[in-house]
Amino acid sequence: MKVTVKNWTTVASWKWVANDDNCGICRMPFDGCCPDCKLPGDDCPLSQPVNQQCPMCRQEWKFNNK
Amino acid sequence: MEEILFDTKIQWARIKKIFPILDNEISATPFSKNEFEDLCNIVKTNQIEIILQDIIMNKTEKLLRDKIAPEFWSYFKNHSAENKKFDLFFNAVKSVYNNYKELCNIMSRLELLRKEVNIVEVPYNELTVHDSLRLILRATLFSQLHVDYQTLVIEFYELVLRMEDREESNTPCLICEVEPYCNCFHLFEETNRKLGEMSLLEPLVGQALTDLSYHYIYAHIQKNSKDNYESFIVPLEKWLHSVVINWLKKIYSHDSYVPLSEYMEMFEKKLVNYLYNAYTKIRIDQLFNIVIEYPESLPALEDIRICLPRTDLKPMLTKKLQKAMETRLLHPGVSTTDILTAYVATIRSLRVLDPSGLLLETVTQPIHQYLRSREDTVRCVVSSLTEEGPNDLAEELNRGEPVDENAPVDDEDENWETWVPDPVDALPCKQSPKETNPSRRNADIISMLVNIYGSKELFVNEYRTLLADRLLSQYTCDTEKEIRYLELLKLRFGDSHLHFCEVMLKDIADSKRINQRIKEDAEYLESDIPLSTMIVSQQFWPPFKDEKLELHHTVVDQMKQFTARFETLKGSRTLCWKSHLGVVNLDIELNDRTVNLSVSPIQATILLHFQDRNVWELEELSKVILCPATVLRRKIGFWLSHGILVETKPDVFCVQEKVEHKAAPQEDFYVEEFESESAMASAKDQKEEELQNIWSYILGPTTECGQSELKAFLDRKVRERQLIFANGLYKLPK
Repeated sequence: MKVTVKNWTTVASWKWVANDDNCGICRMPFDGCCPDCKLPGDDCPLSQPVNQQCPMCRQEWKFNNK
Repeated sequence: MEEILFDTKIQWARIKKIFPILDNEISATPFSKNEFEDLCNIVKTNQIEIILQDIIMNKTEKLLRDKIAPEFWSYFKNHSAENKKFDLFFNAVKSVYNNYKELCNIMSRLELLRKEVNIVEVPYNELTVHDSLRLILRATLFSQLHVDYQTLVIEFYELVLRMEDREESNTPCLICEVEPYCNCFHLFEETNRKLGEMSLLEPLVGQALTDLSYHYIYAHIQKNSKDNYESFIVPLEKWLHSVVINWLKKIYSHDSYVPLSEYMEMFEKKLVNYLYNAYTKIRIDQLFNIVIEYPESLPALEDIRICLPRTDLKPMLTKKLQKAMETRLLHPGVSTTDILTAYVATIRSLRVLDPSGLLLETVTQPIHQYLRSREDTVRCVVSSLTEEGPNDLAEELNRGEPVDENAPVDDEDENWETWVPDPVDALPCKQSPKETNPSRRNADIISMLVNIYGSKELFVNEYRTLLADRLLSQYTCDTEKEIRYLELLKLRFGDSHLHFCEVMLKDIADSKRINQRIKEDAEYLESDIPLSTMIVSQQFWPPFKDEKLELHHTVVDQMKQFTARFETLKGSRTLCWKSHLGVVNLDIELNDRTVNLSVSPIQATILLHFQDRNVWELEELSKVILCPATVLRRKIGFWLSHGILVETKPDVFCVQEKVEHKAAPQEDFYVEEFESESAMASAKDQKEEELQNIWSYILGPTTECGQSELKAFLDRKVRERQLIFANGLYKLPK
């Protein structure tokens, strides 16, 4: 028997590479929207490599894996 | 002495000559002038004027009582005989009339005598002795009234009424059933004339005529309006005038004792009123059907609207319609979609009847209550909102102006002249009338449906689930239609409520782009498994069904590659695969055949494993793909039914390269088959079930052991570092 997969449609959900699912401060999920934007992911300002500050300590915002 | 006696006898004989009734003889023989003068002299000399008159009246009464009235009623007694009911009544009237004529004759003589001898008194204080006669006649007849006499009277008149109602006049007469032009009608006229002359028309047949008219009108309306929702009010009134009233006029024109026009006017009013009442009642009985047939039944509704204010039947309408709804619509035998369709029709048609919306509010109350108790209502509403094809709700959505509930209603000034107040029976509302009335008057159908539940959230959530299902079950990126509906829904429910759905649709569009980007990537090696991935933002989708499934390593490798590409494409982000979701299109080449199928990932995985190894045991395979044996068996069943796998021994399966007996698989091989299960709905159920399980754990400790005991136990857990105690709360450690 030979099986040829012509197309495999599947579902995946994206998430931020972080240690946690929820924000330690506000308990909101990271994968949601920040208060400034309506659409999560690409359009969220946090995903843009611009200068951001941590809301707690006002230090420069850095991603874990960078 | 003897002479006087003799003389008296002669005189008495002379009196009797002129008034034979004194001898109980009704027919009188002619008399000469001399004889009459003689009589006058006798009366005068003996001064017996009053006594004579009394005796005559007395005798008349006796005669009527003993002979004439029984004779008249005897015709009614044997009316059960089939033949000639028409003749019976005719003859009865004829007999009484002939007798009456004779009595009239006597009365005329009495009148003459009265003039001659100057009698002032009239018996029974009537104007003339003839009046007295008629009074006595009436009284005597009615004193012996036959219980059942109306039947015959009604039959007599009905025949003529039916003749009046016929369209063509040259069909055989209904009475004698012979000729189109016969004498029957003259007989009828004659009877009426006689009754009129005796002033018996109204007393004897008046009630029967009224009853007959009512019955006839009712039957006529019923016959015409059955399953026919045209407007009838105008033709009916016309018919009433041309047939019934015309017929009545013909009858009453013979009644010389009441002024015709005045009487007819009264009768007409009564009949028109009855017509409206009867028509409205009949329509109310049909109202449920009328509502369902809307808009075909619009003319009938207009009729009811016109009739209602004239008849005061509104409470009955409300009650009957509610009852009909309950017995015909609101029971388990009717599907929710049908109820919704009926509900929409009800809203639309009752708007016609009562623009103020009060009626609608009252009638639909039970429907609301019932729909609330049905589980699939929301789903039905949402799916029919976004359905293709002719559908009331979808139309409404496409057409509908969004109803801005907060908008101030200031059109009152514009049409204050046509303003209609709420009916008096409107319920006083908690809110101020300015707020409630417009919503009652204007609320559109979708808002009304949504208001059944009192909140938009429920609808929006249901829509989200439905949308998720549709997007995931179709696995296409064609979202144009969905976007259109979303925009329409946004108009109605507001942006904020549908934000989640917007993200979902954007996910689909983004996935398409990302897939393309990754496939174009030089580092991405497309092996023998072409992947297309829907990348979703989990927070915005309804929870997926959670199932464990270890895919075949080739697929897993491919996914890993995809993930790696995704991670480079989108910094700081990674993918979580929902490996059990999706659809796989397969070509299966066997020794003797090739099959193309669309299957679920688990089924594809099973087959891929069988490609590596021809024979698998159930347990073994179950361990490899992390799927419970029972579930796996069911999934394998799919391949068994397609004849690709066979169970050689219990729990041992192998590939069937050749089909020996073509009869084994029933269906066409090339049928696209795919178990379309919802990825969402059951997830919901599962969660519910899980929560139900948890409940016993929550309930157990708080009720079974005391609070201090529980606290001691939890504190011990804290000491064992299985729980954390902070700010008065026990938490699980991370």
